Amino acid sequence: MTRDQKKIFKKILFYLVLAVIVIYLLFPFYWAISSSLKSEAQLSMTPATLIPRDPDTGEISFFTRNYRAIFSNGGFVRGLINSTIVATSTTILALLTGSFAAFALGKLRFKGKTPALYTILAMTMFPQVTVLSGLYAVINALNLSARVSMIFTYLLFTLPFTTWVLTSFFRDLPDEIMQSAQVDGATPFQTFHMILLPLTAPALVTTGLLSFIQAWNEYLFALTFTSIDPSSRTVPVAIQFFSGEFARQEPFGEIMAAAVMVTIPIVVLVLIFQKRIVAGLTAGAVKG
Amino acid sequence: MSNSNSSNLAKEEQKLAFKLLIPAFLILIIIALYPLGQVFYTSFTDKEFASSKETSFVGLDNYKALLSVSVKELEPIIDEETGEQVVDERTGEKQFQRPIRVLPRDPYLYRPSFEFSFFGNRYVVGARTPDFIRSVWNTLIFTLFSVFFETVLGLIVALVVNSEFKGRGAMRAVMLVPWAVITVVSARMWEWMFEPTRAGLFNMLGDRFGLIETSYSFLSNNSLQLPAIIAVDVWKTTPFMALLILAGLQLIPNELYEAAEMDGASKFRQFFNITLPLLKPSLAVALIFRTLDALRVFDVFQVMLSQKRYSMASFNYFQLIQARQMGMASAIGVIIFIIIFGFAVLYMKSLGVDTE
Repeated sequence: MTRDQKKIFKKILFYLVLAVIVIYLLFPFYWAISSSLKSEAQLSMTPATLIPRDPDTGEISFFTRNYRAIFSNGGFVRGLINSTIVATSTTILALLTGSFAAFALGKLRFKGKTPALYTILAMTMFPQVTVLSGLYAVINALNLSARVSMIFTYLLFTLPFTTWVLTSFFRDLPDEIMQSAQVDGATPFQTFHMILLPLTAPALVTTGLLSFIQAWNEYLFALTFTSIDPSSRTVPVAIQFFSGEFARQEPFGEIMAAAVMVTIPIVVLVLIFQKRIVAGLTAGAVKG
Repeated sequence: MSNSNSSNLAKEEQKLAFKLLIPAFLILIIIALYPLGQVFYTSFTDKEFASSKETSFVGLDNYKALLSVSVKELEPIIDEETGEQVVDERTGEKQFQRPIRVLPRDPYLYRPSFEFSFFGNRYVVGARTPDFIRSVWNTLIFTLFSVFFETVLGLIVALVVNSEFKGRGAMRAVMLVPWAVITVVSARMWEWMFEPTRAGLFNMLGDRFGLIETSYSFLSNNSLQLPAIIAVDVWKTTPFMALLILAGLQLIPNELYEAAEMDGASKFRQFFNITLPLLKPSLAVALIFRTLDALRVFDVFQVMLSQKRYSMASFNYFQLIQARQMGMASAIGVIIFIIIFGFAVLYMKSLGVDTE
């Protein structure tokens, strides 16, 4: 095999792997889209069809009433707004407090680092169900509204995550960067937010996106805390309360339509931020 | 002079560190201290959920009820005429006496949790709460396999997405789609794909390609339940791993690869000598969080199997909501906490995560 042939062969192999990955990751989602465009009768067809088809004629036929139904459902639209508010606030709070803590844990010298790290991690070691009633009591005592309760309680899983991931990133940044900044007369805090923070952009964006999605998808806390205030329901809870306008049983098509509509904003969000994931370290910064 | 200067600096640094930790700890104290303390306290009582029954302190009773196990050997059933062990005619399995005959009944009844064979002998593991012991086993198996596959697949996806090609930006978004689908809904979606008739995707595909003769009911068949659940979780959370690994890859300076390239090191060697060792810290953190989440798995089990098969957390949910045994549920929570803590320490030690 000549060099060129080898190169072409490698390229083909690469795109083959890429194609397999894309199909694996997207096919179930495609199935959700396809199901969302099916009516009750089309859903129960055997064998199932890859593309929505008319049960009698076998012609391709899309059923769009699922989408119209979810958007005429005030609960779903309100859910989208609530989810956006809650997930955004939680993520910002977690990144802010998490990056402070991570800088201290990853780059500063002080006693008691290990216990501090373990304590923070221990917060997410309990199953959500177990802490639910205790959290509910705290929320009642502090008289927090449902939305604020969700924002704060989601920190229980987003804050340890952001802190730990960011700590490992801060630790990996070369010490020389801090030292040279100190020589230039920068205070540690200035070094932190002017030099180190921009360098950890990939980690900030990554943890931010992952935490945002986790908060966006959270169900159990949301269900409990919005039980007395249905107007604060987030999307996952709103979907569970779909009563089904057309279907007598559970409106599966509508649930799938909602799932598709809820995933799209996240994909857009990732598209906006994705460049940042790999911005990170420049060669110059490392050489110092 | 210089000495006191540097110790002053160290003090300053320590002060700054404490200040920076205040917000995080303040939040954790407000939202976590009381609920977690309450879980510990309640686990020593017989409190009932949503009931006016008076609660009394029961010490370690809940823990004893959950963790008491008894392993007994099962005697083979001997045919009196032939003197050999009776074999079931239909299944061809050797017959042993029923577990109920050997397990203790007093003062507490032990019910069979599972059986196993060892050197030709048959044993039964009995427990006072057999469902809990089984749920621990289910969760451990689930965690082991799902975290393993997620790490391997996540690594592959991250490496592919990290290389240069057209459409890389879009690929990063595509990569996150499974993670972005709401968990409760994705479990429903897969449940639909696993449908035991040909209305379900897998049975339809299997039928079309002539792979299966009859329809499989993935979620009621005992030996298919865990593989099905693991498949769902691997699909859903591989993106989580991939993205964290991708961010870790960004920390490896390109110069290292350039130097290796000059030395003529193969891509294979570059991966094992540069990528993997330098990726270890980020990989370790990703692994810790993934394992923690897997051990607390709830949504997929609850939606897809509900009471057919429990994970630790879904059994916990059942105890609290259906059985309303809040004291017992809290004790389960504490046991899960201890198991997870053990895993965390194990990871830290074995992966050499530096906490200082």
